[in-house]
Amino acid sequence: MQKSEFYDILMETLEIESVDSLNESTVLTDLEEYDSLAVLSLIAMIDEHFGKRIPGTEFQKITTVKSLMDLIGVDFE
Amino acid sequence: MGASIKKIDIYLPETVLSNDMLSQEFEDLNSEKVEKRTGIRERHVSAENETALDLAERAARNVFEHEDPVSVDFIILCTQSPEYYLPTGACILQDRLGLRNNIGALDISLGCSGFIYGLALAKSLIAANTARRVLLVTSDVMTKHVHPKDRANRTIFGDGASATIIDKSDSEGILHFSLGTDGRGYRNLIVPNGGLRHRYDPDAPDIDDGFGGIRSENHLYMNGPEIFNFTIDAVPKVVADVLEKNKMTMDDLDYVIFHQANKYIVDYLRKKIGIPKEKFYINLLQTGNTVSATIPIGLKYVLEQGIVRSGDVVLVSGFGVGYSWGATVLRI
Repeated sequence: MQKSEFYDILMETLEIESVDSLNESTVLTDLEEYDSLAVLSLIAMIDEHFGKRIPGTEFQKITTVKSLMDLIGVDFE
Repeated sequence: MGASIKKIDIYLPETVLSNDMLSQEFEDLNSEKVEKRTGIRERHVSAENETALDLAERAARNVFEHEDPVSVDFIILCTQSPEYYLPTGACILQDRLGLRNNIGALDISLGCSGFIYGLALAKSLIAANTARRVLLVTSDVMTKHVHPKDRANRTIFGDGASATIIDKSDSEGILHFSLGTDGRGYRNLIVPNGGLRHRYDPDAPDIDDGFGGIRSENHLYMNGPEIFNFTIDAVPKVVADVLEKNKMTMDDLDYVIFHQANKYIVDYLRKKIGIPKEKFYINLLQTGNTVSATIPIGLKYVLEQGIVRSGDVVLVSGFGVGYSWGATVLRI
């Protein structure tokens, strides 16, 4: 998957309005949209687009968009 | 011969807690966002001195409005908010409802899967000629388990009870079941203190959940992400399995009612399984997640609204705490 496509999916998944765009260094956990329900949205997104299931405790390690991409563990172009 | 649901009724406590009221307690809680994501606008909350058994009694009295309670041969009470360690709540309920003495009564301790398991037990009791009429009551007061500052769980959970009369019938109204259990997940939805493993601790420290909420080990803990992972894994399988056991496909179903965990989760499961939107129940608007009562609340609603009619085939599935899950198909 292209990084730009992933950013678009992420913007839509988390219904982000507080910033115009995302990049690898955007700190997700600082966004006002990032709450406990946002984590459920990420789980659904990862299941739907990558067919993967990430253990719940791993989500506590998320900081930046890059950290989420590492967690998903696929190669982004 | 078989067993069929004769009648369902519910009881919801009088006090209503709206998102707007919650947003006065939690300043960054956005009422509209909560409703959009969870599907919940308000939930009913039991009074300080009102227990799950009180709700259970009210639900049972509602279901007996035009029925004779003396005809009940067996009571199953499903709750995870018991009056006492002992005695059994169902025994107290027998007396409160003025039922006969020569009947059976027992509690089952299950949460979101409880209604399904109750139906499975009721069907078995009727098939074995142990009872002709079973009263299945589900009742929970989850709000009493939730820490007052636990923002996420206070938005999700509401209190409520259901009462279902299941009768011996000429044709089978409760078809085959698929049930599941995985105790490895027990720590992910738990009230850690207050039982005999870890006693209630009056000095239990506050724990920050990382999302602006606080709980303690005396209160409900829910690992939302892990529970969601579990449902994504278990629910599609149990639906496929129960359809196979009943030699049915999705096309044979008129309607599907899942445990109403929250709108986001339930709708994601619908999409993943491929259940048409028009056949699928989502309604947490005024009740929230009432644990073991969500499925009977849904059944009562769709029957009253004429969404489901006599002769329709309805798949019901519950999943959650334990982990425990199950599904069956009803012929209404």
